[in-house]
Amino acid sequence: MAKTILIVDDSSSLRNVVKIALVDAGYDVIEGGDGREGIQALDGRKVHLIISDVNMPNMDGISMVKEIKTMASYQFTPIIMLTTEAGDDLKSQGKAAGVKAWVVKPFKPDQMLNAVSKLIMP
Amino acid sequence: MNLDSAQQGYLAECNELLVEMESALLQLEDDPKNSELINAVFRAAHTIKGTGGVFGFDDVVEFTHVVENALDTIRSGDLIINSELVAVFLSLRDQMEIVVEHAVNGETLSSEVKRQNDDLLAALLALTGGEVDEGTQKDESEVNNKDESEEAGACTSNDNWHLSIRFSKDALRDGMDPLSILRYLAGMGDLKQVVTIFSEDDSEELSPIDCHIGLEIELLSDEDKEAIESAFEFIKDDCLVHILPPRAKIKHYINMINALPEEDKRIGEILVSCGALTKAELEGVIDAQTESSFTPVDGDVKTNSLKLGELVEENGMVPKEVVEAAAAKQQRVRSLNSSAKTIRVDSEKLDALVNLVGEMVIAGAGTDLIARRLGDDSLVESMSVMSRLVEEIRDSALRLRMVQIGETFNRFNRVVRDVSSELGKDIRLEIVGAETELDKTVVEKIGDPLMHLVRNAMDHGIESAQDRAAAGKAEYGSLKLNAYHDSGSIVIEVEDDGAGLRRDVILAKAEEKGIVSSGQVLTDQEIYRLIFEPGFSTATEVTNLSGRGVGMDVVKRNIEALRGLVDIESEAGVGTKIIIRMPLTLAIIDGFLVGVGHSSYVIPLDMVFECVELSDAERQQARKQNYINLRDEVLPLMRLRENFNINGESNGRENIVVVQCGGIKAGLIVDELRGEFQTVIKPLGRIFQGLKGISGSTILGSGEVAVILDVPGLVKQVADAGGHLPSAGGVNKNESNIVH
Repeated sequence: MAKTILIVDDSSSLRNVVKIALVDAGYDVIEGGDGREGIQALDGRKVHLIISDVNMPNMDGISMVKEIKTMASYQFTPIIMLTTEAGDDLKSQGKAAGVKAWVVKPFKPDQMLNAVSKLIMP
Repeated sequence: MNLDSAQQGYLAECNELLVEMESALLQLEDDPKNSELINAVFRAAHTIKGTGGVFGFDDVVEFTHVVENALDTIRSGDLIINSELVAVFLSLRDQMEIVVEHAVNGETLSSEVKRQNDDLLAALLALTGGEVDEGTQKDESEVNNKDESEEAGACTSNDNWHLSIRFSKDALRDGMDPLSILRYLAGMGDLKQVVTIFSEDDSEELSPIDCHIGLEIELLSDEDKEAIESAFEFIKDDCLVHILPPRAKIKHYINMINALPEEDKRIGEILVSCGALTKAELEGVIDAQTESSFTPVDGDVKTNSLKLGELVEENGMVPKEVVEAAAAKQQRVRSLNSSAKTIRVDSEKLDALVNLVGEMVIAGAGTDLIARRLGDDSLVESMSVMSRLVEEIRDSALRLRMVQIGETFNRFNRVVRDVSSELGKDIRLEIVGAETELDKTVVEKIGDPLMHLVRNAMDHGIESAQDRAAAGKAEYGSLKLNAYHDSGSIVIEVEDDGAGLRRDVILAKAEEKGIVSSGQVLTDQEIYRLIFEPGFSTATEVTNLSGRGVGMDVVKRNIEALRGLVDIESEAGVGTKIIIRMPLTLAIIDGFLVGVGHSSYVIPLDMVFECVELSDAERQQARKQNYINLRDEVLPLMRLRENFNINGESNGRENIVVVQCGGIKAGLIVDELRGEFQTVIKPLGRIFQGLKGISGSTILGSGEVAVILDVPGLVKQVADAGGHLPSAGGVNKNESNIVH
């Protein structure tokens, strides 16, 4: 069974590009437009990886991660955060929340696939 | 690339390093724990060895290696430096100079040099307690073996990359899956071997969600280090990751380093460019470096890079060989670049330039004269612009040859140290005014006279420790070298705090030698000056250092040959001071042109104090007395007309040019003041060298020859003739009243 990846970003076109690449590589993809939607999208499903933007309306990425880390089913799920610049301040916040992997925007789909493959296999 | 010139560059570099090493060693004697100094010494040996290796100078590498090792134990604090060690290191330093020179000249070491090498190294090892290690063994295969065994720690012995990973306990919690990493690595090459390791430290309890494993991986891959490291991108912050390159890669790195463009880079950048170090590793090391207390001072890039190189090496990130290659590369580029900032120029070329500038000055003066004669305003104006430019060119050309006297002075640190231990006296050298600049030709020639004066002061001037104690002086003797500028001359003083000159002994000796006849009345100053007379030596016994017949007269002659003056001040029980006064340059001076009859004379402008018109009354008086009262000061006079036997009388007014030299003023009576004149000094021929009052000649714009006056000589002559004048400042009021 294919592994499932949740992608959370307020830009639907970005979600789309990433989704196409990931589906191509053999993953299942679910989506959310902000932190709140991302958590709703989980919906008790088995999710193997979460890719999330930081700066989003309603609930930002870091708050979302903090909340997800409290949920028993997802507390060990690897998370990749997307940032425009690898700001150290942001990084240390993310680190405290439990994020280890960062991908800097703008990225090419291949780069994303490469990053994903370091964490999970299809 | 011409290897010859590169080798010469190496020789020059070595010499500089050796000078630094010497001065650091000497300072270390007083300050044995100064790590900066120890580092400086180590660096010198390290660089000489490293660069020597690049040239394939095995003798240099072999010899320096042992020295470097010994220095390393000192640097690590295992051994405290003492004066005994300093002495050995100084001898080793001298020997390094010999070995390097042999290597550069392509000579093999003679058996004698080899024996000296072995003796010195044995002496060193006896002190450091080190064993004769691989460096001293002459067998070349041995050296090669050493390479392999030594390097085995920093690289793998086969063609596989060796990856060593220790996961953090939280890796699984963070969603990091070791298996994913392995799979990712498998995509980059062939996983030859994977060994899992269990960390033993957490014995308490085995939590299922903690990560307890480490991996030792042998990976066969063509990827570079950066790519392999990227596999650990997300875990490297929390986990320990070491990546060791395969043996074959080392050669590759070194080739890469040598092929890099010759830019001035930091050592870390070089290592990153060749791929031996990844950017992330570099950042980590730099962080560690800045955190450590050894924060290098800004601008001290050398220390900085070496420390970085060491850190990288110690942490096993990059093999030693590669770091050394990078350091050598950096040195090479630096020396190329620094040569862009300071250019080494053959001094003959400089001399040729200064000569040409001199000719230009003369030609310019000639053209100026013609322009004035023609009376064409625009021509005169353009010539004045030209003259100003010529003057600037002259000044810059002369400045090119100015060097600081510090280097000459610093040589005496060693001399004083060696001689004082030879004499069994504790003598300390103080150097003042090392930054004083003077012409290189003067610097070159002042060394020998200075050496003589310093040795003399140490041997005869400063008393033995017992005598000093008896006289209630500090137990160590002080010797002071002082240099400063004074009205267009440089003054160099050699001062000791010894017993001072003994008036009676000198006088008795001079009478015995027939230099003065008994009953002659002499001032103290005149008696002291007797020691400069030929054939005078007061040392009752001939020591190894002085009293060999080469006396102070030679010193005086040498200095006078440089148009200099030497004088002496002494006070019994307090010390002796020898004062040397030299012209700043020997080529071109600003002159003041005066005329007497049809002849022209040049007075160095720096010595001209003022010009005074001679009133008729004074003229009459001057005829009788040879001095006048100038603003309540006695001014001894000299009539150049009489002095140089010029026929005829001056038609019109006469002028006094007041000159000053060594604190004494005198007036020279001339017919005519012709103004400033750039004077290119042409030496006098041998026949004229004995002439008094003349120091050289020059060519005027009109093509006539003018004589340059030897002002110090004239002033002395005047002062002697006009009674013993104390100085321009100390006026004998009675005498000046009589003048009234």
